[in-house]
Amino acid sequence: MSYKVLVVDDEEPVRRLLEDLLKKEKCTVKFATSGEEALDIIGKEDFEVVLLDIKLPGISGLDTLKKIKERKPYLIVIMITGFGYNEELIAKSKELGCSGYIGKDMPISQIISNFKLFAKTARDKAKK
Amino acid sequence: MIASTKEIEKIVFKLIDNANALVLYFDINGTVSLCNKVIENITGRSREEIFGKNWSYILATQKDSLAGLQMLKAVVDDSISYKRPNNFEGIIIDREKQERIISWSITPIVKDSEALEGVLCIGNDITALKEREASLKKIDDTLNNIFSSIKEYALYVTNLDGNITYYGMGSEIMFGWQKNEIVFKHVGVLHNPEDVQSQLPKIFQQVRQCGQYETEIKLVKKDGGQLPVILSATKFLDEQENLKGYIFIAKDITERKELENQIFQSEKLAAIGKLAAGMAHEINNPLFVISGRVELLLAEKRLANKTRQELSIISTQAERIRKLVDQLLKFSRKKTPSLEVVNINDTIESVMPLLSYHKLPDYNIEIVKEFEKNLPLIKGDLNQLQEVFVNLFINAYQSMSEGGRLTIKTGNYLKRFVQVTISDTGGGIAAEDLKNIFLPFFSTKKNGTGLGLSICYNIIKAHNGSLDVESQSGKGTAFIIRLPFV
Repeated sequence: MSYKVLVVDDEEPVRRLLEDLLKKEKCTVKFATSGEEALDIIGKEDFEVVLLDIKLPGISGLDTLKKIKERKPYLIVIMITGFGYNEELIAKSKELGCSGYIGKDMPISQIISNFKLFAKTARDKAKK
Repeated sequence: MIASTKEIEKIVFKLIDNANALVLYFDINGTVSLCNKVIENITGRSREEIFGKNWSYILATQKDSLAGLQMLKAVVDDSISYKRPNNFEGIIIDREKQERIISWSITPIVKDSEALEGVLCIGNDITALKEREASLKKIDDTLNNIFSSIKEYALYVTNLDGNITYYGMGSEIMFGWQKNEIVFKHVGVLHNPEDVQSQLPKIFQQVRQCGQYETEIKLVKKDGGQLPVILSATKFLDEQENLKGYIFIAKDITERKELENQIFQSEKLAAIGKLAAGMAHEINNPLFVISGRVELLLAEKRLANKTRQELSIISTQAERIRKLVDQLLKFSRKKTPSLEVVNINDTIESVMPLLSYHKLPDYNIEIVKEFEKNLPLIKGDLNQLQEVFVNLFINAYQSMSEGGRLTIKTGNYLKRFVQVTISDTGGGIAAEDLKNIFLPFFSTKKNGTGLGLSICYNIIKAHNGSLDVESQSGKGTAFIIRLPFV
């Protein structure tokens, strides 16, 4: 199970860590440091999954999610956030069409397994 | 010009006739020789008819009159026998059959010497006055009833010195003092000692100056308990508008105070929650990087033992911080229900640590988890589902006071539902109780509220799922939850 993933996070150490963690799972990883950059990149290149931070400078994670879904409805987007379990954010993300929600406060192993679970579920669903 | 005796007599008679009172004069045998118009009006008998008759006879206009007259007669006899004046209040019945309350003054008329000449009775019709008094009393009683039913109000009055002269309308209930214990005591007994010197004189002064005063103050009950009230004081005036004292109305605001306190507490918690949430986010990002890096390093195969040990320490300590932040975030979480994609295996795992909060008795219970690894996801409210599992696990625990085994099994049912079976090896549920087990307020436990299972049932139902029970007395119980796939 490997994916081509676009990681969107404004913090460099977080991006680097996510890259290493995902590479261990045989994923191909590219970066964007803002919502604007992410939208630009997905316009030029195809990805299977976008791992999108909620708190971003410039346009917010939720707005970025909305715009991605407008342009590429089938692109799997998984939200990741330091806010942890937050019902309001989860509800909004779901409403805008994200396929999963990961808290940076989860244990590392769980973050990876959840990522895989969300991505697989979304992909299986799309195939049907 | 000096009026003749005859003329004076005429004037006196005229005066007597027009007096607003019953006037009757009779000799010691009771024979009437003088009466006025009022007597004529009340009895319906003319003067000619009355003169020469016995007084009690002429006042007896109806059969019913006799009883009332008997008492008046006794008082008159007393005046005759002892030659002393008397006052008497009694009922007579007039020719219209109406009761009239008459206040009599009975004066024996003594001749020059000791001998008694006759008796002069002057009666004031006080029926209207009495009616007014009665209606006032009725108002008073009604107010008393209203006040005692409202309970949070008390009304009392003091004189100018601050001594309680009236203590009614809810006061006994509010303060615990009975009327006879407190009337004529200084109102200071209802105040805290420190207020008696400062606050109380200020209240009196304000009322004198401004006519009224209102303040929030703590009064003292008989048992010493503090009583937060809004105390309103106004002037107590007599008919000539002279200040006679002070009227107090105390409104018990204990409940409001408690509510305010609760709101304050919850606002405080909300503020702490907000702070915690903001802080948690700032901690989570760097902590994520630390933990992640450590995990990646630990995954390296070629590590010196010492390095591995120290990385483990970092990992454990980072995990401590992570859990702490997690608790802070949970604390600040909103309580509105929301649906999310849930892995039931994770949900069950997440409540296991919560069980320790419920102070479960230390029974010897083995927990067996048989989890289906590739369990499909369901849509649900994580908090509510956690509540269901906590409830069911506690029930299972409590049914196995002799020790036993709690088995939690997950799997799928008809490829459409996630099925969770929670079975214990406890005492089981009697067949006749089984059908009532999900009814609210039904409990087989000694101190059970009977709400736990009904809440579980409602939660599962709201998730479009089902909650069933299978049990055999003596062999244990199994609860089966089925929740539809996403």
